[in-house]
Amino acid sequence: MINFESVYLKRNDKEIFSGLDFFVQKNEKVLIQGKSGIGKTTLFKILLGFETIDKGRVTFNKKDIVKEHITEIRHQIFYLSQDIDLKNEKVKNLLEEILEYNLLKNQDKAHFADLLNFLDLNDIILNQSIKELSGGERQRIGLLIGFLLDRPVWLLDEPTSALDDIMKNKIIDYIIGQDKTIIIISHDDVWKKNNTIRIERW
Amino acid sequence: MMMSGKKTTLLELKGGDQLGAQDLTLLSLASLLVFLIPVFYINRRLKLKINKTMSASIIRMCIQLSFVGLYLEFLFKFNSPILNIVYLLIMISIACQSILKSSNLKIRKLFIPVFFSLLLPFAIILLFFNAVVVRIDNLFEAKYMIPIGGMLLGNCLRSIIIGLNNFYSGIKKDERVYLYSLSLFSSRIQALKPYFKESITASITPTIASMATIGLVSLPGMMTGQIIGGSIPIVAIKYQIAIMLSIFYTEYFSTILSVLFSLKVGFNELDVLNQDIFISKK
Ligand SMILES: Nc1ncnc2c1ncn2[C@@H]1O[C@H](COP(=O)(O)OP(=O)(O)OP(=O)(O)O)[C@@H](O)[C@H]1O
Ligand SMILES: [Mg+2]
Repeated sequence: MINFESVYLKRNDKEIFSGLDFFVQKNEKVLIQGKSGIGKTTLFKILLGFETIDKGRVTFNKKDIVKEHITEIRHQIFYLSQDIDLKNEKVKNLLEEILEYNLLKNQDKAHFADLLNFLDLNDIILNQSIKELSGGERQRIGLLIGFLLDRPVWLLDEPTSALDDIMKNKIIDYIIGQDKTIIIISHDDVWKKNNTIRIERW
Repeated sequence: MMMSGKKTTLLELKGGDQLGAQDLTLLSLASLLVFLIPVFYINRRLKLKINKTMSASIIRMCIQLSFVGLYLEFLFKFNSPILNIVYLLIMISIACQSILKSSNLKIRKLFIPVFFSLLLPFAIILLFFNAVVVRIDNLFEAKYMIPIGGMLLGNCLRSIIIGLNNFYSGIKKDERVYLYSLSLFSSRIQALKPYFKESITASITPTIASMATIGLVSLPGMMTGQIIGGSIPIVAIKYQIAIMLSIFYTEYFSTILSVLFSLKVGFNELDVLNQDIFISKK
């Protein structure tokens, strides 16, 4: 599903990848761990077409990451960025806008309410703007967007870093239980309790 | 460069009184420099270190306007459509350079998109102005085409600078948010929309504001010149309204086009901002 074949990438004279090989099967769950600055986030950015590699080959669903496929590829990936870089708008409006552009305007109301409840979010938060949210609230809004979009591949960059233990456990179980291809970057050892997850150490 | 001052006296109106303004002798013009003495003095006392730049600016203004005067005389004498068009095309090129320079964008990369985004609305509005509004027979009449063209260009300059600057520096500053929008919306147009909206608003707001206050505080330069040049005020005002509207339309469309036309150069194939369009400040 996702293939990195001897990928080279250099930024500002610094080798980030020199001959990286990395493969993910459909519906696999992979946890990537490794020290800061080693290039974990960069891996996601390459898949989304935000970084272009110097040498090697990267494919998504057997398709190269090029102009012709990029919209389709992006449309299949839900990316939760490390700092949840949502634009500063009222949460409600932002959600509406995202759903509208993804042609998901007619969300099942009950499903939406369930998700809010599950993530411990409420109307007050929906009426705040992104900048006013706490780190954990923003993280849960980010996850909510991912759950609503329901895209087949999830790239989650530190998705649980700002959550408390109860919420962490709940969300990890939910994510691992999904019928999706999911790559997680996390320093949280809680992910490892589940033995279906493959661990990649960098 | 935008020939303010001179152009207005040249704008004699069809059917209007053509008394013409009293000519100024060089000596009487030079007499205005008398007031520079106290300015220099005060600057020195206050230790304002601007005497040098100020003198340079004044000298430049005099030289530039003298040249404008010379070649305008020349253009008006021949009144050849081709010559007039060439002149305006050169003016547009100079305007493009100056736009890109003040917006910290690379001239080499963006010249062509900005050139056409200026040329299209400019040509349409200018021809419309001459043909439908003033109804002159020779659409390329130097007397109308050159000063009005200069006026439109001078104003577009500012609005395109604001528009392009706002758009590209907005995305550059906000790049992570832009890229994240790209991943959520999966369409470049949707991700760019907020930056586009913001840049258009920023670029036309000053003109909208100046339309709202015009005449209350100051008389616009063009009108002042026209009245001194012998037009009756009501005619001058009609021209002023026509000009303000034309300026507004040209600014509006050329700013939108400049952003749209520059997208192909401004972003790579995967919709990521091209860092190399910016002049690096190293
Ligand atoms: N736009 C960029 N320009 C230059 N260098 C960059 C850029 N983005 C990342 N880097 C460098 O690439 C390297 C890898 O960055 P990356 O963000 O992938 O690390 P990471 O493994 O995700 O680290 P962390 O665990 O701290 O998030 C770092 O050394 C970083 O400085
Ligand atoms: Mg990272």
